[in-house]
Amino acid sequence: MGLAPTPVAPTQYSARAGGRTAARRGRGPESPRWGTALLFLAPAALLLLVFLVYPAIYTVLLSFNRGRNGVFEQWIGLDNYTRLFSDPDFINLSTFPPSGALWNNVLWVVFYVSIVIFLGLIIAVVAARVRYESIVKAIVFIPMAIAATALAVIWKFIYSPDTNIGLLNAILGSLGVAPVSWLGDPGIVNFALIAVGIWGSVGFATVILSAAVKSIPAEVIESARVEGATERQIFFRMILPMVSLPMSVLAVTLVVNVIKLFDLIYVMTRGGPGKASQVIAFTMFQQAFEAGQYGYGSAVAVVMLVLLVPIMIFNVRRFRTSSVT
Amino acid sequence: MRSTRSLAAIAFIASIVITACGGSGTPTPVGTAAAGSTITVMSLWGGSEQASFQKVLDAFKTKSGVIANYESIRDNYSTILQTRISGGNPPDVAIIPGIGFLRQFARQGSLKKVADLGIDVNALKSNYPPGILEIGQVDGTQYAIMVKFNSKSTMWFRPDKFKTLGVSAPTDFAGFTKLLGDIKAKGTAPMGLGAADSWTLTDWFENIYAKQAGPEKYDQLFSGKLPWTDATVAAAVDTMKSAIKDDYVAGGITAALGRSFTDAIGQTFAANGTAVLYYEGGFVGGIATGQTNTALKVGETIDWFDFPAVGSGKTVTIGGDVIAAFTNKPGVKEFLAYMTSADSGSVWAGTGAVISPVKAVPASAYPNDLAKREAAQVANASAVRFDGSDLLPSGGGDNLGAALQNAIQGKTVDWAAFETAMQAKWKAEK
Amino acid sequence: MSILAGGVVQGRMTPAGRVVAALNRTVIHVALALIGLIWLVPTLGLLVTSFRPRSDIQSTGWWDISNLHLTVDNYRQVLEAQGMLQAFANTVFIAVPSTLLPLGICALAAYAFSWMRFPFRDTLFLIVVGLLMVPVQVAFIPLLTAFRELVPGLELTRGYGAVWLAHTAFALPFGIFLLRNFFITLPPDMIEAARIDGASDVWIFRKIVVPVSVPAIAAYGIFQFLWVWNDLLMALIFVQDSSKFPMTRAIQNLLSQYGTEWHLLAAGAFLLMIVPLIVFFSLQRYFVQGLLAGSIK
Repeated sequence: MGLAPTPVAPTQYSARAGGRTAARRGRGPESPRWGTALLFLAPAALLLLVFLVYPAIYTVLLSFNRGRNGVFEQWIGLDNYTRLFSDPDFINLSTFPPSGALWNNVLWVVFYVSIVIFLGLIIAVVAARVRYESIVKAIVFIPMAIAATALAVIWKFIYSPDTNIGLLNAILGSLGVAPVSWLGDPGIVNFALIAVGIWGSVGFATVILSAAVKSIPAEVIESARVEGATERQIFFRMILPMVSLPMSVLAVTLVVNVIKLFDLIYVMTRGGPGKASQVIAFTMFQQAFEAGQYGYGSAVAVVMLVLLVPIMIFNVRRFRTSSVT
Repeated sequence: MRSTRSLAAIAFIASIVITACGGSGTPTPVGTAAAGSTITVMSLWGGSEQASFQKVLDAFKTKSGVIANYESIRDNYSTILQTRISGGNPPDVAIIPGIGFLRQFARQGSLKKVADLGIDVNALKSNYPPGILEIGQVDGTQYAIMVKFNSKSTMWFRPDKFKTLGVSAPTDFAGFTKLLGDIKAKGTAPMGLGAADSWTLTDWFENIYAKQAGPEKYDQLFSGKLPWTDATVAAAVDTMKSAIKDDYVAGGITAALGRSFTDAIGQTFAANGTAVLYYEGGFVGGIATGQTNTALKVGETIDWFDFPAVGSGKTVTIGGDVIAAFTNKPGVKEFLAYMTSADSGSVWAGTGAVISPVKAVPASAYPNDLAKREAAQVANASAVRFDGSDLLPSGGGDNLGAALQNAIQGKTVDWAAFETAMQAKWKAEK
Repeated sequence: MSILAGGVVQGRMTPAGRVVAALNRTVIHVALALIGLIWLVPTLGLLVTSFRPRSDIQSTGWWDISNLHLTVDNYRQVLEAQGMLQAFANTVFIAVPSTLLPLGICALAAYAFSWMRFPFRDTLFLIVVGLLMVPVQVAFIPLLTAFRELVPGLELTRGYGAVWLAHTAFALPFGIFLLRNFFITLPPDMIEAARIDGASDVWIFRKIVVPVSVPAIAAYGIFQFLWVWNDLLMALIFVQDSSKFPMTRAIQNLLSQYGTEWHLLAAGAFLLMIVPLIVFFSLQRYFVQGLLAGSIK
């Protein structure tokens, strides 16, 4: 690790609570003063205020307005929201199963998050038993480096209905099955897209869960083995609970990914066929930048923000309890 | 916004002065005033259509000295335009097919009124057949002018294969479905279809509806005054389904849902094409002969007949593009004026890519028989209607396309829900 | 011994147990091979396709190895005729400032949050943690409106100004969070000693904290660089001049315009992927560290 001017004990990358209490000492002049701190904080503060805080407040206010051209022109109260929640393209609870962009996000949360964590854990555990573990993890991780736009091209290629081009339909064809329109059938398209999302994110889960599992003290597990516990018991009663915290952090990160999901949908299906694969980030984009409905689009953005607030609170709480500041 | 309005006011007053000094009310390209300036023009065309339009731009430069730079938006033109408008750098001029979007941009205040540019709108009336100028009006004000159109009542076919199969063009829809059945019985699935581009399905629907329900109901339906739950809508969809059947579509309907319209043209007109019929607008000719299969011979291996009448209804549907100005930079007014002239119309018509709405463009300007007949079909039609899905508010055309995609698969369409969603869109537009 | 190795307890295993263990190992190898295939084949397929001539692609599948005629023509076409070379340059032009700016600004702020004391420091940091969750969607409309109405002269959306600033601003919460968490793990004695010697915070930052933190800063830098390189949404909104489109937009246009011209799409996609893949393979360690640091505490 780098060249330290004064060699000291090796620092750990992820801090533990004990280290932080020690680090608490000497973290600055005795009495808190603004002084040079302003110099260090000013650029960040300026950018954050101008590009994050001000726009967020503006958007919230604009969502109660007609917002033509993005300016405040006519207060309409909750009209945008009532319109949004009665729009069947956004959420349609009258049919079974429900449909709409918000529902599609729910589908993603349920299937994408759970399967990514499940596969990530399995791969992490199984790969740890072989010598070529790092190769396996690297292979699974590669899609994380690939842009969602390129992922879309790769998978549109695989899903192509032409059996000379699309691998999946070619395989089906060799088994005597008719080609499936993976992206053209409204009943399948969301799951086809979720599969792509899973493919892209399992590597992330594997790396995190692998590190988490390996951080479990080996002696504890060994002693359980010596006492005759089966692999299954060890996995379910010991490993799982001990990785539950990193797993929940991972789950939260994945849920945030789902709420912000845009690129993949935009490039692969543009929300289609029809509106079957739309997600809320796409709805926001379309309403604001295609239909010119800036107030309405702002309302969708606020819905996204509201959905993320519980996660915001979770993060802040987790940070406060895990750090002794 | 305020500063641009005062600029517009000054431009308006200046233009009145210039026009007063110039004398006649007929807009003529002012050759010298704006020479040397550059304007940006955006539209959807690429490939051969773009090359044809470039000829018009070159002729404009020769005439006026203004350089018009073309930028093609091949994807999602409404989003690109709206994003650039909100970012403060729209193109100077755009030529778009969507009247719904025209309304959106106009009501936002993003467009310059044609009159504010210094063009005498009243004088324009004599340039066009009745009804054309109205298409470019929003709330009674002229914001855009139609510059080109194609008939959407052209049923393209292969005359050589018709001869081999021993069949001939039908005159009405009953005859048409019989024709499809006959061809199928002889072993060929007759029609190409590119249902992934759902707007092709909306064109089918509009053509049938305009003929079956009549032009008055058509106007009401596509202006939000007639609900989509009206029986005429379901009836038109049934008629459509009697022709778009799994047996009659080459490759079947499921495959068609994954096929683009250019590939569907290939189903009929490529060298190894198996289908014998393809329905889409007059522009198919240019694409087929220019891109799909350059060996095609008009009259022998490619031709069109009138979209079959439904009952006694013969209304012709057209799809067109209108030109609108976002700024009033020097050169914009000149360009708009040029695009309303017979000069530009003749140049463009001469490429064979479009039909010009300008009355003064003679039939001789069209290079081939296909285009001449197309112009004549529209000129002689008992009634002409503009592409319905382009008249709907933003997103409405997509909704209609999706509903029709469901219909051709045999799924039931919930027209009540469709109507509710559409009404919400009409309301949001105001 | 890895906690996951299991199964062999002090060499005591029956012959049956050994067979079961061997079978288990085969199953594991097969399963991992399958996983490797699933995660490699799609990308591989597109790579092979990018080197096949158009006629080949249309007539046979890329898995048909007997029909292997390789060509670089697709790449040439996509770089020249389709403008991907310009798009590549644009991507670099967008990504570099959007990485360097946040790096500098985050390091400064993170140092302040770690080793300086000022009023409301901890509350302000909690706000930064909270801002992590703000989606970029809430910023589009106000920012575009502001660019248009308040500072039209700057023409931010006509060039790269808008997208640089937007990327930088939205990178700040994560960057400050990450770097601050790293900075506070530095030994306090090191810093205290410098303070006692009369060093200013600026000096401590420049001469002590930054040099020691190069791996963490590098990890964050790589993370941010790849994030911007691969971004589409910000480019859709803030890069409005079509000659300045990055590769993500160029490929997206290519896909919607030439949806079945796989010879172009495959080559284009790989041009987009090549730099992140190289960065990933050569700097894997840093990349992974960055991820772990942000997720596990």
